[in-house]
Amino acid sequence: MLFIELLKTSWQSLRVNPKRSFLTMIGIVIGIAAVITIIALGNGVKAKILKELQATNSGKQTTEINYYPNDSNAASQGFTEDDLTQIKNNFSATLSSVKFKRDTKNINNTVFLGNETRTATLSLVKGGNQHYDIDVGRNIAKSDNVINNQVALLNKQLAIKEYGTEENALDSALTVGDDTYKVVGIFTKPTDDYNVDFLLPQRTYLYSTSAQNGSIIKLTFNKGVKVSAASKKIVSFLKKNGSSRKTGSYEYTDMGSLLSGISKVISSLTYFISAIAGISLFIAGIGVMNMMYISVSERTQEIGIRLAVGASARSIMLQFLLEAIMLTVFGGLLGFLIGWGTAALISLALPFKAIVTVSSFLLAFGVSSLVGIVFGLLPAKQAANKNLIDILR
Amino acid sequence: MSMIDIKNVNKFYGQGESSFHVLHDINLSIAEGEFVSIMGQSGSGKSTLINIIGFLDDEFEGKYFYYKHPIHEYTRAQFSKLRNQNVGFVFQNFKLINTLSVGDNVGLPLLYAGEKRQAIKSRVREVLAAVGLSNAGEKKPKNLSGGQQQRVSIARAIVTNPKFLIADEPTGALDSQTSREIMTLFKELNQKNKTTIIMVTHDEKVALQSERIVHILDGRILSDEKVGV
Ligand SMILES: Nc1ncnc2c1ncn2[C@@H]1O[C@H](COP(=O)(O)OP(=O)(O)O)[C@@H](O)[C@H]1O
Ligand SMILES: [Mg+2]
Repeated sequence: MLFIELLKTSWQSLRVNPKRSFLTMIGIVIGIAAVITIIALGNGVKAKILKELQATNSGKQTTEINYYPNDSNAASQGFTEDDLTQIKNNFSATLSSVKFKRDTKNINNTVFLGNETRTATLSLVKGGNQHYDIDVGRNIAKSDNVINNQVALLNKQLAIKEYGTEENALDSALTVGDDTYKVVGIFTKPTDDYNVDFLLPQRTYLYSTSAQNGSIIKLTFNKGVKVSAASKKIVSFLKKNGSSRKTGSYEYTDMGSLLSGISKVISSLTYFISAIAGISLFIAGIGVMNMMYISVSERTQEIGIRLAVGASARSIMLQFLLEAIMLTVFGGLLGFLIGWGTAALISLALPFKAIVTVSSFLLAFGVSSLVGIVFGLLPAKQAANKNLIDILR
Repeated sequence: MSMIDIKNVNKFYGQGESSFHVLHDINLSIAEGEFVSIMGQSGSGKSTLINIIGFLDDEFEGKYFYYKHPIHEYTRAQFSKLRNQNVGFVFQNFKLINTLSVGDNVGLPLLYAGEKRQAIKSRVREVLAAVGLSNAGEKKPKNLSGGQQQRVSIARAIVTNPKFLIADEPTGALDSQTSREIMTLFKELNQKNKTTIIMVTHDEKVALQSERIVHILDGRILSDEKVGV
């Protein structure tokens, strides 16, 4: 008999008793769903850790230290060139480099405008931006960045407040740090990141001395350094020696240890849930076996008839074995989908996404087939070994 | 030409102390194209004998040659193939699979012979027409009358064009009118298709429609004679 016909025969038999087939499947569904859920979460946190503690191409890891001013209007951004030099000198053994992590949006800075020194917010633009409208004057062009042209755009509200009309504000001077920019345009209707007092050309600004500060620094460590401990040491160094230690605090968010904490919880949960799933699958397997034994004894006449018209013992065995496998594999696939969905739902509440891989799918498929084979084999053998003469009596 | 040659066959049910001797030194030859009835009291061993003849029972003592092949030496797997390719069965209680359609029941032997679905379909249509049930293919056996169900089982028996049919009390569960129709069908198969038929029956009237009657009593052949001679 052709294998495909055997498959069809088994499928037909399962459909004769859909309720019983479904109930038998439930244990498999739950077991597989639990395993897939925990594996998907585990994969997710591992991927996140890799990304967070991203090693550079040479295997070096990086971390960041933030500065939080006590007074949110404070002009100081926290880190100066001087701080960087100090860190470099004191930690040259572990550090490979220290840089500002450049903010380009919503930067707080002290500016001099219309005879008055004030704290203002500014964002940097690369030129030709469409995130706001120009009311008067011109936009900052790409070419302004190329030649480090010191030009600025002024917010319409601020322009009217300071100069009465937009036109009056044009060509006025704006001093940021040591550099003076000429206002060439007035902008309005900005989108979120551009809802600031000034817009400056990015390259021009970053070139200037006033940019030699920052609120975040990026540390790159040499290979093999314990980055978390080393970062903490640098934070305590800054607390003693940092230029802005009196006006704010330095903080290192140990994303790595946070994530590895979650990861540890998930790995220990993985063992626990795998154990429970194992028990669940075992019991489900017994259920499958039980159902198959019942099915074999209910269908004794059918077995006899099939044997009488020429079925080999082997094809009878395969028919019943395939029934068991189909049952558990359907259960496994359903469990896979449910597990995937559950993991996705749970990860909404966690700082990472659940990841389902091909190997998770193969695991679900493999384990459920295995359960079908292991627990279907004995009933199938019993079916195949029935005595034809006894059945036909 | 001799098709079936049974030599000194003995059959025991059970083993050791409790074993029960059912068939005693049976010798029987059946030629191609014959229509043989086996008669005897209930419990005399008719079914036991016909099951051995039809390759359903491979546990017997003695020798069985089928077209000179020593069947008594065959393995269980060889018996499956032999059944599938050489013999069709008709039982008193029809033995149809109730969860399958009539068409699927009839096509079952071809499925196990490894035929393709398409070929099976057309052959099934053919034999259902031959037994007068052209429109019953999609129905479930339960929805047919006894006579119709027996026709289905005859269709299944002849679907592989077997060398011979064995029928164990094929009319036992049918009224006399339906019995006559079934017997007409058998005679037609025997005369037109030259199918050898070996049939067990209680009913003298039914037996008289065959060509040869073998009487069995307590597992021994009592008589073996041509009808009407
Ligand atoms: N599978 C079996 N196991 C044990 N005894 C059996 C079996 N089949 C039949 N017998 C016994 O063998 C004897 C002959 O049975 P059977 O061939 O069915 O008789 P018949 O068909 O002539 O009525 C009976 O006494 C019956 O009880
Ligand atoms: Mg009998």
